[in-house]
Amino acid sequence: MHRYQSPSPDDAAYIDAVVDRVEASLDESLLPVDIFNDDRIFAAEMQRIFTKNWVFMGHESEIPNKGDFVMRRIGVDRVILVRDSTGTIRVLNNHCRHRGTEICHEDSGNTSVFKCPYHGWAYKNDGDWAGAPLMKDAYGEKLDARDWGLLRAPKVETLFGFVFASLSEDVPPLREALGDAVWAFEAIFNLHEDGVEVLGPPEVFTVKADWKNGAENFAGDAYHVGTTHYSNTLDGFIPGLNNVAVAAHGYDFGNGNSFIGHSIHELIAPPFTLWGYPEEVRSQFQFDRLDDVQREMIENRPPTIGTIFPNLSYLRFPQPYKENEWPIPFTNIRVWQPVAPGVMELWTWEFEYTCAPQEYKDKAYLAGQYGFGSGGVFEQDDTVVWEGIAKAGKSSWAREAGMRLHLRQKRNGPDPEWQGPGRYYESILGEYLQEEFYRRWVKEMRSHKTTQPAEIRAAGIAAGGAETVGTTASTETALAAIAETEKKQGALA
Amino acid sequence: MTSEQVDLTAEQLRHLAEDFLAREAKLLDERRYDQWLEMIDDDVLYEVPIRAAKFDYDEETSAGAFRIRDDRYLLALRVKRLATGQAWAEVAPSRTLRVVGSVIVERGELPDVINVESAVLLYRQRGHDELGDIIPVRRTDRLRITDTGLKLFRRHAVLATAILHTPNLGVFL
Ligand code: FES
Ligand SMILES: [Fe+2]
Repeated sequence: MHRYQSPSPDDAAYIDAVVDRVEASLDESLLPVDIFNDDRIFAAEMQRIFTKNWVFMGHESEIPNKGDFVMRRIGVDRVILVRDSTGTIRVLNNHCRHRGTEICHEDSGNTSVFKCPYHGWAYKNDGDWAGAPLMKDAYGEKLDARDWGLLRAPKVETLFGFVFASLSEDVPPLREALGDAVWAFEAIFNLHEDGVEVLGPPEVFTVKADWKNGAENFAGDAYHVGTTHYSNTLDGFIPGLNNVAVAAHGYDFGNGNSFIGHSIHELIAPPFTLWGYPEEVRSQFQFDRLDDVQREMIENRPPTIGTIFPNLSYLRFPQPYKENEWPIPFTNIRVWQPVAPGVMELWTWEFEYTCAPQEYKDKAYLAGQYGFGSGGVFEQDDTVVWEGIAKAGKSSWAREAGMRLHLRQKRNGPDPEWQGPGRYYESILGEYLQEEFYRRWVKEMRSHKTTQPAEIRAAGIAAGGAETVGTTASTETALAAIAETEKKQGALA
Repeated sequence: MTSEQVDLTAEQLRHLAEDFLAREAKLLDERRYDQWLEMIDDDVLYEVPIRAAKFDYDEETSAGAFRIRDDRYLLALRVKRLATGQAWAEVAPSRTLRVVGSVIVERGELPDVINVESAVLLYRQRGHDELGDIIPVRRTDRLRITDTGLKLFRRHAVLATAILHTPNLGVFL
């Protein structure tokens, strides 16, 4: 199922033609359906988007201690997100430089050394080569630590604890790359100096839909809620879901990064400003950390749903967690992880402000998981409606007929009075945010950013003197681990 | 019944528990959810923990991390939602078969409680899927003996999969 191939020159012509067709279609507010399930397009996305841009990896609170690691993915690759022994966060390729074997097979843990299960090469937790069994006999001398270290994402940066990595050097710094979306991040995650923290490990499930459908949906689709999720009104859980699109607004921060905002206090009740946070949480908020426009925004129409290109999304909405209790906001972070054409893994995490009382965190976790994730009474139905799009993408009839999807809701244009960055739209109807997502997709699919070969990069770093290669504490640990193994093997022989 | 229960033999307890699990599976397979809810205690806690690939079994699930953690209200609400006909993950509903085995029955710490473990292979062919999914799960249940029969008041359903390969948990485990 995990297919990847780099596009051949013939494929490149095909891909360029598809991308041209997508752009021409967007100019008519249409979208060719075949981009949602196509081997060559998928391969090009992995190459041109996922190895060339900032991609979300996880949150610092998932790896609080030196040596902590969690397994993540960039494109189709499994990667190690680790806090090394100096405290620096690294993103390492999970393949041994000797024969390519996968190094790490656990989803999380703490280690100073990653040891390959094939011949026993050992790597420090910053990725540097640390040693190998029978080193003198097999190699004579130590190998260069960085030349033969694990491939390392050249760029890793954080924003409010959210860790992003880029496999390409050819990207602007994270804040610059995210541009105006940083302003929304501030409004959402910067209400307290201690920020937010993860409430548990991610849950992961495979969905037979294209990653772009999830990303597009969270980028601006408030329109589907009244239909896809109406069962949650019919069963008495949440009244009025058929009207939420009317109270939804759009924030376009450019580059395919966008948010939906909801006037929750109009939907539920006047006290439901600030996402509906109850007193015990809102009383801790440090409003002076935000500017006036951010404050006014989160008061009256806070960003509730959003997408950061390519595949990170956010959701914060109040929901009941128990019978006869008021809805409380939860914060759900998700990744639309491509796996194959028309197949993704959905990774979801629950977050909360670190300063919130534990009791509140527990309740918010329940509220979030009841609505979203594999068991979620909202999410379950999303997984199904998106599946159909992947099928259409592969349909010979749809392809032969050149089926294009409709993005032609009437648009009223942005609010000229808007004081914040980007653009603000009073109504979410118009599908302009979804269009922006696909415009960015077109741009990235055309870009010719490079990923430098690892050796060149390693040499560059060594020449720059940014890395010191020497025997550090963790190299010693690594060598000790190898010696230990050899002793045992000797004893067995 | 509580006082009588203490007198039940291990054999009788096993019979009660196995009969309960088999009937429960049949009700769920036939989507007779209202009858199923009658087998559920008011104090039920129904949990599906998140599982990860770890060397130590005990570390595979971490405290407080759940795909699902329902009390009676939330569980019954799922049933109500399915009945709306607009819970699209289950329209048309999955056709399921639950094979329950490896049953272990032990007396609980309270006289009216039986601890029951079971392994379930849940076959699920969703709406118009051609191929079905298999959801493997080991359940640790507590059953309460009441005047109106056994009631499920605790279910801890541990999936054998870290990455779930059915697109949602729209069916009960
Ligand atoms: S493949 Fe890793 S040590 Fe040989
Ligand atoms: Fe949805």
